[in-house]
Amino acid sequence: MTFIDDILNYDSLSIVGLQKNTGKTVSLNYVLDRLPIERKRIAVTSIGIDGETTDQVTRTQKPEIYLRQGMYFGTSEMHYRQKRIVSELIDVSDENTSLGRVVTAKALTGGKILLSGPSSASGLKRWMKDMHRVGLDLVIIDGALSRLSLASPAVSQSMILATGAAYSTNMTTLVNQTAFIVELINIPLTDEEQLKLLMPIEKGVWFVDSDGALHEIKTVSSLSQEIHFEGMDDCKTLYVAGALVDGFLEKVRKNPKLKTCELVVRDFTKIFVSPQQYRLFLKLGGRIRVLQKSKLIAVTVNPTSPLGVVLDSDTLCAKLTEAIHLPVYDLMKDNVDVCVPQTSKTSCVCETQTPTMMRCN
Amino acid sequence: MRDHIESPCGLRYVFEQLELQAGYTRRWMLDMPMMRTGEEIAQSYAVLRQFADFIERVDTPYINTLQFRLQGLKDIRTTIKNLGQQAVLDDIELFEVKHLAILAVDVAERMKAHGLDQAIAVPDLNEVITILDPDGLKMATFYVYDSYCQELRDLRAQMRQNPSRQEELLAECAEIEEGVRRDLSKQLVPFAKALEEAQIAMAKIDMNLAKALQIKQLGLCFPTISKDDISRYEAMFHPQVKDALAQRKRAFHPVSLTFGQKPTLITGANMGGKTVVLKTLTLCQYLFQYGFGIPAQSADIAVKDEVFFCIGDEQSIEKGLSSFAAEMKNIDAVIKASRENRKIVALIDEPARTTNPTEGTALVSALVKVLRGDNVSLVMTTHYDIEPTDARCLRVKGFENGTMNYELVEVQDGEVPHEALNIAESLGIDKEWIETARAFLIMANSPQLNLSNSIGLDPRGSNSTPLNEEGENKTPSNSRGFRRGSNSTPCKNGGGE
Repeated sequence: MTFIDDILNYDSLSIVGLQKNTGKTVSLNYVLDRLPIERKRIAVTSIGIDGETTDQVTRTQKPEIYLRQGMYFGTSEMHYRQKRIVSELIDVSDENTSLGRVVTAKALTGGKILLSGPSSASGLKRWMKDMHRVGLDLVIIDGALSRLSLASPAVSQSMILATGAAYSTNMTTLVNQTAFIVELINIPLTDEEQLKLLMPIEKGVWFVDSDGALHEIKTVSSLSQEIHFEGMDDCKTLYVAGALVDGFLEKVRKNPKLKTCELVVRDFTKIFVSPQQYRLFLKLGGRIRVLQKSKLIAVTVNPTSPLGVVLDSDTLCAKLTEAIHLPVYDLMKDNVDVCVPQTSKTSCVCETQTPTMMRCN
Repeated sequence: MRDHIESPCGLRYVFEQLELQAGYTRRWMLDMPMMRTGEEIAQSYAVLRQFADFIERVDTPYINTLQFRLQGLKDIRTTIKNLGQQAVLDDIELFEVKHLAILAVDVAERMKAHGLDQAIAVPDLNEVITILDPDGLKMATFYVYDSYCQELRDLRAQMRQNPSRQEELLAECAEIEEGVRRDLSKQLVPFAKALEEAQIAMAKIDMNLAKALQIKQLGLCFPTISKDDISRYEAMFHPQVKDALAQRKRAFHPVSLTFGQKPTLITGANMGGKTVVLKTLTLCQYLFQYGFGIPAQSADIAVKDEVFFCIGDEQSIEKGLSSFAAEMKNIDAVIKASRENRKIVALIDEPARTTNPTEGTALVSALVKVLRGDNVSLVMTTHYDIEPTDARCLRVKGFENGTMNYELVEVQDGEVPHEALNIAESLGIDKEWIETARAFLIMANSPQLNLSNSIGLDPRGSNSTPLNEEGENKTPSNSRGFRRGSNSTPCKNGGGE
């Protein structure tokens, strides 16, 4: 069994790369190739440009996104005009990107496509809603973990994380960093009541007192060095709508008044703290919760870095599985090895899968 | 409309309350110039009236469906322009044209079914649909359909059977597709004008529907166009102020007013709603000249070329002007416009209020004389005593049995009411202050009384600097003890009666 069946349990999926060249597009193609389009109506889009043949930064060869006949896709006007498939336009939205408006079309033949969808969080949400409204079952977002991206992949119900040697060629660092991101992705949601209360707030630092009343801390930016938590003796929850950084976390940790309060951030992409600070915070009894969370379905690895360093795939998969307790896949290999976490032992078992993209299943 | 939307009279508030369905309608309305002739305005209200009747005739789901359709109206002016210039449209542009055409045909049918096709004519775009829908699917989707060309159909079939040859076949297809698009664009050129008209017609429908619904929701009226340059309002109200009051569970007192040929001065107690009257008049004038429903029971409004609303307390900090300088500049613009012989309505709130009463009174009296031309309709509020011969004077009825009566009544002289102290008292302002002020007034009205031993009063601070109840509080004009110019009516009773 692969993670494809898991995906079908959700109405949206984002595929996120930890870094460029970590094999995100390969993962996306792997998923697109295997989804049962006879049963499910599927739409794909991207936040940021994707599917280009050469990497815009490193100039290395990149795989293109391959759509199957019958799939729907959202891309910019500019990329729609460059398409190399036959497709039928179903909508031209008012959503603007730097490459023109976002258009939605249905692929009438299979083929390669450049994707560049909505560039804002609200735009992405609207597009997803539109797709579900016209009866599509699954929306796939080619997500970016880029710090520059305004649209968060955390709006989707499920997620696949791509990591690899491009992120770090030191296997221990790579495993640790990936495990840290996985830990952040898995931060639990805050309770229902607070979710409703805090979801509409998109900026500022706020706190909720024990009566459930919301207060804005006006003079504070979560980025500023001068943070004073005054008049907050009765703070049940501290909410940071923007970025959570080391300095802020440290101040919260050191403030005895805030010891028992719950720290809430929008989603894991807003957390910019070092693993050390984060772990210390938790160790001393701190609690972090999020407003939006995706279910992490799988992690994929690309053991080859753009500089030519190749890590040993089996060892990498094994170590990662051990660290994150989730299935890890090397989709670059002819035979995809799936490492399934062992419940009791520390070692892992590798099952061999034969994917249809390269070989028949 | 862009030039007037930010007027402090609250035009934006009414505009934002319109339930417009398409972003394009909004932009189109904002780009619309103000109507300046009676015919234009009459024409626009005639159309609006038909929509008002229409929403009464049909049920809510029908209106909702029409609104939902109008949400699909997009701004495709660039595409239409390209078409007009005989450019070859690409798939996205052809999609836009088809989408607009399908929408226009649908909306036109709905309009016709309810006899509104005469009010706003949507050009027939059925032929455009025929050109872009060779399979007759009536779907708002587009690609270069197989049906346009047998060769294209064959190539695409091959492509599906033989994906390895896709790239090569696509190149062949692209050439054929471009030919088809060239041909389609050519066929569509004659419809460029009709497409543009259809887009505007649908914006008009969206606008009129929204205005008609607003009239119903806010209880607005259809105005008549005044023939004698005099504007008459029965029970007018300000929607924004009304809403704000309603939120505090208080009611708005509607005001009736007629003004036009002679300058009209409104005096009256503080908090008597004088500024709100001016705001409402300005708002009504704009709403009238942009063809909205009017917030009044009935209105007969004169058409103007220009509307001026000068509200006293706007300081131009960016320009480094004091409130007085900013005000003088604004009023100066009104005077200049009045000399250009354009028909203007000027609504001026307490001019020269921030300067000393002597010069202030002089400035206001002079302004009434300067702005007396036939082309000017002036309504001005003031606390200064002005010679009534040049103007018609109205007064807010004021405090009656402890409550404010906002009604406007005609007064024969320019005497301003003296209720500031009563009102201040009702606000719970410091008693000592009020009583001391009262004592000063009594003394001021009877100069023969000795200040120090008068009726047991002890005006504190007997170093005798008269307390100034802010520039706008009224003291009789001939009271020498106060800094008051005496250029007008004789003194009546000062103070709160």
